[in-house]
Amino acid sequence: MSSPLSKPQIIAHIQKSLNYTIFDSKWIPCSAKFVSLGNFARGTGVMQIYEVQHGEAQLIKEVEKPKPIKCATFGATSLQQRHIATGDFDGNLNIWNLEVPEVPVYSVKAHKEIVNSIDGVGGLGIGDGAPEIVTGSRDGTVKLWDPRQRDSPVANMEPVEGETKRDCWTVAFGHAFNDQDRCVCAGYDNGDIKLFDLRNMSLRWETNIKNGVCCVEFDRKDINMNKLVATSLEGKFHVFDMRTQHPTKGFASVSEKAHKSTIWQVRHLPQNRDIFMTAGGAGNLHLWKYEYPAERSKKDSDDVDMGVAGSVNLLQNVTLSTQPIASLDWSPDKQGLCVCSGFDQTVRVLIVTKLNVV
Amino acid sequence: MSADAVFCSSTVDYRGKVPVEHLDYGYIEKCKDVKYMEKILKVLRSGDEGIYPHLTTFCESHLEKLHPRSPALRKDNEVATAASLSKDEWSQIVDELKTWQEETKKTETSLKQQRVFDDLPKENIPPIRGSNCSIALSETSNANEKRSSSTCPLPRDYREWDKFDVERECEKIDGNVVKNDPPAIVTKRNPEIKTKVEAALLTQQEKLFLANREKDKGNEAFRAKDYEEAVVYYSRSLSIIATVAAYNNRAQAEIKLHHWHKAMSDCQSVLQLQPGNVKALLRRATVHKHTDHFQLAVEDLRTVLREEPQNAAATKLLSETEKLMEHPPVQHRKGKKILIKEVEEEHNSEDNEEKEAEAFLVEPSQPVGGEESSAAPAERGDMGNAQKKPHGRGDGGPHGNEAGNPHAAGHWRGKGGSADKYKVTPDSKEKVANGTNKRGSTASVQADQSSGGKGTPDGGSARETIDLDAPCGALPPPLSRLKNEGNLLFKNGQFSDALEKYSQAIQGYTDSAIDSPEDLCVLYSNRAACYLKDGNSQDCIQDCTRALELQPFSLKPLLRRAMAYESLERYRKAYADYKTVLQIDVGVPAAHDSVNRITRLLIEQDGAEWREKLPEIPLVPLSAQQHRREEPPSAEALQARAEKAARDAERKAEVRFTASKQDGNEFVKKGQYQDAMAKYSDCLKLKPEECAIYTNRSAPGPCHFLSPLCSVTLYRGVGEQSPVIWFWD
Repeated sequence: MSSPLSKPQIIAHIQKSLNYTIFDSKWIPCSAKFVSLGNFARGTGVMQIYEVQHGEAQLIKEVEKPKPIKCATFGATSLQQRHIATGDFDGNLNIWNLEVPEVPVYSVKAHKEIVNSIDGVGGLGIGDGAPEIVTGSRDGTVKLWDPRQRDSPVANMEPVEGETKRDCWTVAFGHAFNDQDRCVCAGYDNGDIKLFDLRNMSLRWETNIKNGVCCVEFDRKDINMNKLVATSLEGKFHVFDMRTQHPTKGFASVSEKAHKSTIWQVRHLPQNRDIFMTAGGAGNLHLWKYEYPAERSKKDSDDVDMGVAGSVNLLQNVTLSTQPIASLDWSPDKQGLCVCSGFDQTVRVLIVTKLNVV
Repeated sequence: MSADAVFCSSTVDYRGKVPVEHLDYGYIEKCKDVKYMEKILKVLRSGDEGIYPHLTTFCESHLEKLHPRSPALRKDNEVATAASLSKDEWSQIVDELKTWQEETKKTETSLKQQRVFDDLPKENIPPIRGSNCSIALSETSNANEKRSSSTCPLPRDYREWDKFDVERECEKIDGNVVKNDPPAIVTKRNPEIKTKVEAALLTQQEKLFLANREKDKGNEAFRAKDYEEAVVYYSRSLSIIATVAAYNNRAQAEIKLHHWHKAMSDCQSVLQLQPGNVKALLRRATVHKHTDHFQLAVEDLRTVLREEPQNAAATKLLSETEKLMEHPPVQHRKGKKILIKEVEEEHNSEDNEEKEAEAFLVEPSQPVGGEESSAAPAERGDMGNAQKKPHGRGDGGPHGNEAGNPHAAGHWRGKGGSADKYKVTPDSKEKVANGTNKRGSTASVQADQSSGGKGTPDGGSARETIDLDAPCGALPPPLSRLKNEGNLLFKNGQFSDALEKYSQAIQGYTDSAIDSPEDLCVLYSNRAACYLKDGNSQDCIQDCTRALELQPFSLKPLLRRAMAYESLERYRKAYADYKTVLQIDVGVPAAHDSVNRITRLLIEQDGAEWREKLPEIPLVPLSAQQHRREEPPSAEALQARAEKAARDAERKAEVRFTASKQDGNEFVKKGQYQDAMAKYSDCLKLKPEECAIYTNRSAPGPCHFLSPLCSVTLYRGVGEQSPVIWFWD
């Protein structure tokens, strides 16, 4: 930490300018390829597959789709199939076979409005249990899908009749450490964070972080939930220790104001759950490490357990562009490799060094 | 700190503007308030008060000193590129990336090929979630949702305010106070995580991927000090594919949880998969250390150090273990006085022990008489006497000789100061011994080992055996175990149980026909102590006599016999024994007291000429007096001496060996093969394992006279060390 050389370095390995707005980019598991998704200026959607080769990203495949694609996940597919699930501007949830991406293998009109966020679990060996996809939309609902069931969601989390519908900006799976337990966390534009327990089909916890929640992510989906990072519109992020839930105080958290602008994304390193990267609205990336406190829980005055938050350390920060970095994805296979895309119509492959020594 | 705070807070107002006079080298240098410094820095950077680049950097560096992680110091960095790294570093990264790309390509193709067979339905996937289960959330969390909408502070609808019911809100607040909160939900430690993963249907790639993933999870849990969870995840990883790393890591987690047995079995698994795995050896050593198998621990650590002489962890552990070997922890021994010398030998330098002993010694000595009081001198006799000295001997230091006697005396007389001083000495001595030992083992393991290979074990390995066997002499492990158990029981006051153990040990000793009278003597002596404690003075006397037959003039049996005689009111014999004790060591106050007491009694009994009725008091030979500490059955000392002698002998042998060999080589060169043969044979007598000699000896043979002896030895030479050295060396 002391000398600059021992710090992790963020290296821009490949930069590729594209002719469309990129909303999301994702590594294809068990490969050196990534998918990038977005919309053409003419209002159609696009999905491209690139392969990283000899220090370049080579376009392998490109398909145009009728609607701009907002988000994607590989979370609910098997390693062999590696089907990508996408949500588009029209509220559709599609699952594509990347070998034949022309026709979806699964398609459903999931929401009335744009699907802002998607996440999957139960595939890729991540999380026991059934493969499930969760989508969050501007229509205020969070829906849970099972690719084995056509047409209707297996669970729907929406505000009751008559209540104002909040734009759901982000969803994430977690707590999937056996085949029954599973949680979905959703973040809303008003700063609400809600944690849904899918086993009991109930709202387990909620809080408000005062500003729109741009991104939430559990440090790992497939463990007894451990930490949750929520990023917000005004440049703050909160790390919740999810191990101990106090009846009134909820989960302990630590917050850090890091970026001067919105934090669009947070992604945990797949190889080390305590390291995560945040992507900011000013085109910068911050690499953080969470340090656990000496004791993760303590007794309050009424002798009830309450969590103790740790602290976050900035490991490295860089500025990539003047435009927001809207998506970020770590390679699940190669530690330190990540792909990110911003509104400057550029997709970048980054290498983060020395992650194993921090 | 507080002064600084005052200094700053008295002058500053965090809200207000920073006064211009604070933008000053002197002020900044003195300011210790991080928050205010950040503010100053902000002003300086903004340039509102003018641009002072030097002052800004000065302020930054000062702030860094105060609070290196201050957010104000974060600077936007440009993203690094290949050019910003050194060439080597970058090429390394590129190479890694390239190999990874190639590997993933292979994985991918094989994954694709396997897809053909992927139509197998996966049975272990749970059914679809109750479809159309009218989403419970809208009902169960109804109240929650409502509450949330009223609590969320930001974009709050105006409509909400219309509906705002003050009384109800007040009630709510009041209600909150009385409300019984449900207990905190602590996510349980290992809530229903299966320790096995169904992976039978998966392909090899998937298995590898999964196993790695589970291991990573284990590592993370480990880092978060969640060792139980870590164990679960390592187990999961192992249930998919058994890997060395996962076993190793699980062993470490088990160690953290103090599950020694499990950790041990994991280490064994690793060593089965990969013999000589350094980490596993290290961990096994740790387990051994904690399960009190110091010898095994030391063996493992030495193996590690042979592989990696620089291994700091191993070195540290080794020195710790060796220390423990000499003074095992007090925990089992706390609170009880120790009677038996052999027990004490193990840990006589432990602080607690010392204090106990000291406290005890300060008390006035009690008269020896009844059963009760007789215990006291016995204890002292056992504690003070022969223990420390064998140790000094064992370490081969001069301390034993010069410090032994006065030490014992000081100890015995219970003079706090001197006793104290002496208690320190052996300890530090041992530290020194340890130090050298350690150095020897780290710096020159190889040398140590190679020299150890010649004939008698020497150096570290020899010492190690001594150390471990110190309490047990030359007894085989089962017997020493019995003995140690006996010692422990004795210490705990279970005399009859201890007695049984000693009896078993004695029985085992006679059965196994070991020739080590000193050990048998100790066993008898210990058993005698048990008898004495049990009030069985007859048997005590018998055992003491046996012990004394084996080792005449050993102090403890004598002292015990004296006590036994005394309690049987056979004062004359007791007197004789006490006197003998005093001849051996004048510094045994218990003996002095008893002698005085018995003298009085005998005078009362027999009148003035009581001396005439005394049995003959044996004259203790000078050797027993002067080198008293050699006479008591201190196997350790004996062994140390034996070892030293062996080392000397070896050194001499080495010299003679080299000389003979050179002579032999000379003769060969001159063609006097007969003489050469004789010289080589001499060499072989000294070092039968030296291959080169066999070869040299047989070398003349094939050329000139082919004797059967020659061919045999040649054969042996070949068999023992395959590369035959055909050159004179």
